[in-house]
Amino acid sequence: MNRKEFLADCGKKGLAGVALSMFPWLESCSDKAQQEVKGEKARIGMIGTGSRGLYHIKNLLRMPNVEMVALCDDYRPHLEDAAQYFPKAKLYDDYRKLLEDKNVDGVIVTTPLYLHGRMTMDALRAGKRVFCEKSMAFTLDEALEVYNCRKELNGVLFIGQQRLFDPKYAKAMQMVHEGKIGKVVGIRNYWYRNNDWRREVPSPELERRINWRLYSEYSRGLMTELACHHLQNGSWAMGMLPEKVMGSGSLLHWNKDGRDVYDAVSAIFTYPNGVNMTFESIISNKHFGMGEQILGTEGTIDLVTCMHYTDEPAPKGSGMHQLVAQIESGVMSNSVFAGTSWAAETSALAPGMPIMDNVTISTGESTVGAEADGSIEIMEAFVHAVITGKQPAKVLEESYYATQFALLADRAMHEGAILTLDDKYKIPYEPLR
Amino acid sequence: MAAISYSRKNPDYPVVYSSFGAMHTRVELLAVGLSEEQGRALMTEAEQEVKRLERLFNCHDSRSPLAVVNATAAGQSVKVEDELFMALELCEVFRRATGGYFDVTAVDENAESRGENRGGYALDGKEHKVRLLREGEMIDLGGFAKGYAAESVRQIFEREGVKQAVINFGNSSIVAMGHHPYGEWWPIGVKHRKVRSAVAREVRLKDSAMSMSGQAENGEYHIVNPMTGDCAMGEELILVEGRSALVAEVLSTALYAAPRNMRKTIMAQYEGYVASEIYCRADGSTECREIVR
Repeated sequence: MNRKEFLADCGKKGLAGVALSMFPWLESCSDKAQQEVKGEKARIGMIGTGSRGLYHIKNLLRMPNVEMVALCDDYRPHLEDAAQYFPKAKLYDDYRKLLEDKNVDGVIVTTPLYLHGRMTMDALRAGKRVFCEKSMAFTLDEALEVYNCRKELNGVLFIGQQRLFDPKYAKAMQMVHEGKIGKVVGIRNYWYRNNDWRREVPSPELERRINWRLYSEYSRGLMTELACHHLQNGSWAMGMLPEKVMGSGSLLHWNKDGRDVYDAVSAIFTYPNGVNMTFESIISNKHFGMGEQILGTEGTIDLVTCMHYTDEPAPKGSGMHQLVAQIESGVMSNSVFAGTSWAAETSALAPGMPIMDNVTISTGESTVGAEADGSIEIMEAFVHAVITGKQPAKVLEESYYATQFALLADRAMHEGAILTLDDKYKIPYEPLR
Repeated sequence: MAAISYSRKNPDYPVVYSSFGAMHTRVELLAVGLSEEQGRALMTEAEQEVKRLERLFNCHDSRSPLAVVNATAAGQSVKVEDELFMALELCEVFRRATGGYFDVTAVDENAESRGENRGGYALDGKEHKVRLLREGEMIDLGGFAKGYAAESVRQIFEREGVKQAVINFGNSSIVAMGHHPYGEWWPIGVKHRKVRSAVAREVRLKDSAMSMSGQAENGEYHIVNPMTGDCAMGEELILVEGRSALVAEVLSTALYAAPRNMRKTIMAQYEGYVASEIYCRADGSTECREIVR
């Protein structure tokens, strides 16, 4: 099964019934849902047209039911870059003016983290349907505020946790839920790069505006920019939330340019059943790239490479199996299997089984966005929601907790403490099963 | 724990099959004509025996008797249990009978002083003691254990009256008992790691065994030439067929480690065994050349 077939199946019997009960938000990606909005237009305005905004613009250009009617950025070169793609779009340098624009139905917020919460809530209050990049907010309190705001207004809110819409992740998680790797006993996430994470700055006074990711005044660094994508893996796989969080961070290598967010972090998230999920990121070594692995008592699923490994690989289809099959069928023919020693398949070199055909694997190296990582699907789902006004079930809760635990881990690192999420931040949570 | 399956799809020839990991590879056992109860019990016993031997011979497990020898027997005699002593005696016999090319002390920390100055070990037959002749010497029974274990499993099968079976240690050491129910032998195709799609040779096993040595499936060269201490790096595979899986295993290892001009000399010592070199040609075809004694 490939990506297209998986999504097509989301409207049919068989896998569809299972998939949609586990991943209800994927329904809006299905052919059926897309047919519902055929011929209709979602009038979109984008706030923040930097590198991530442009990445989304390139995907939106391929969607026939998108009309980009407004663009906003207070940094003129970015705004002009985006305007080239949509010459008819109205240009703003103040997002509040864009929100007043009655021609805008849906808003995409791709601004620095510290602005996410405020802009999202202002947009919701202006009656817009909102897609905001992850993380959801800059602080735990603000994330709760955003969540409650959406709830009170019964608005539409998507957070850019695109893995939730990536068919290969959905398929892999379905296998986890079906017990294909036995009991989940560990989750490992890592994201390694070897670059300074800087954007080019045309003049020194723009440093903090353009490289906002590097300053704690605007960003929580690696936890909100990278870990946030991985932290939903634990709740998604196990249907529960971490009980405690600990971690350590350092400004290890890129420490000469004035930045004050960590460039090396390690965090552990412990679940009520004792399972640990880890996240590690170092941006001064890239050998291992990016990894997200669900470890079970009977096997492992590598979400990034979309592979399934069993701990006790049965040599199915081996020559010995051929011999058994021959005897069962009453025939004899040559069974080819003799050779030099067959190595035990318990290491990382073991040949696993692809979970899905024709997948594009992301190395995690790009600092803008990857291909075929669910970004198109999440945007299609958002466009669908802009037209229909329907908020997909469960997905916002997953995004909310990914943000909260990223922020909590960042706090744990700074305080050198083992932390639990305060009850006041807990929202109704229905595990994905 | 082994995965054991029992099939009665062919009521004339029910088959029991077992697969488990041991000795850094996968062991597969197949026996024909047993009741389910007998078959499952037999497979369980065979697995226990292989795991017992693995514990005895594993030099990488600090709790194994062999690891104790490696850790303590340099310069002093250490008493060992009978079966390990016998294995070391056998290894010494094989070393001599292969011109030194089968040597379980081939890997040591003094690789630069191999050849005439090899260390090795000394055995005290009365006391069943072993002494390593040099500091840093290490006995590694990796090239011996699979063949020995395969023979042990065969003995268990024979004792239980099994007439038709295949014992496969990692595809490189294979024992056949009797013949295929629908033929006069067990037909085993040999593959070259570079030409997976083609059969390099068909071996017909009947109450006999075969062993293969060469570059590992993952491309590594792992057989050490005892004379130099370096890995032998031949592109050819060595295939040995004969009665005993143990002898076949020893011979294939020794022949691969030995230079080509030594191979005939080694084979001259082994009546009843046939050895071949399997080459992969540039065009992807394979060629099998018997090493004529």
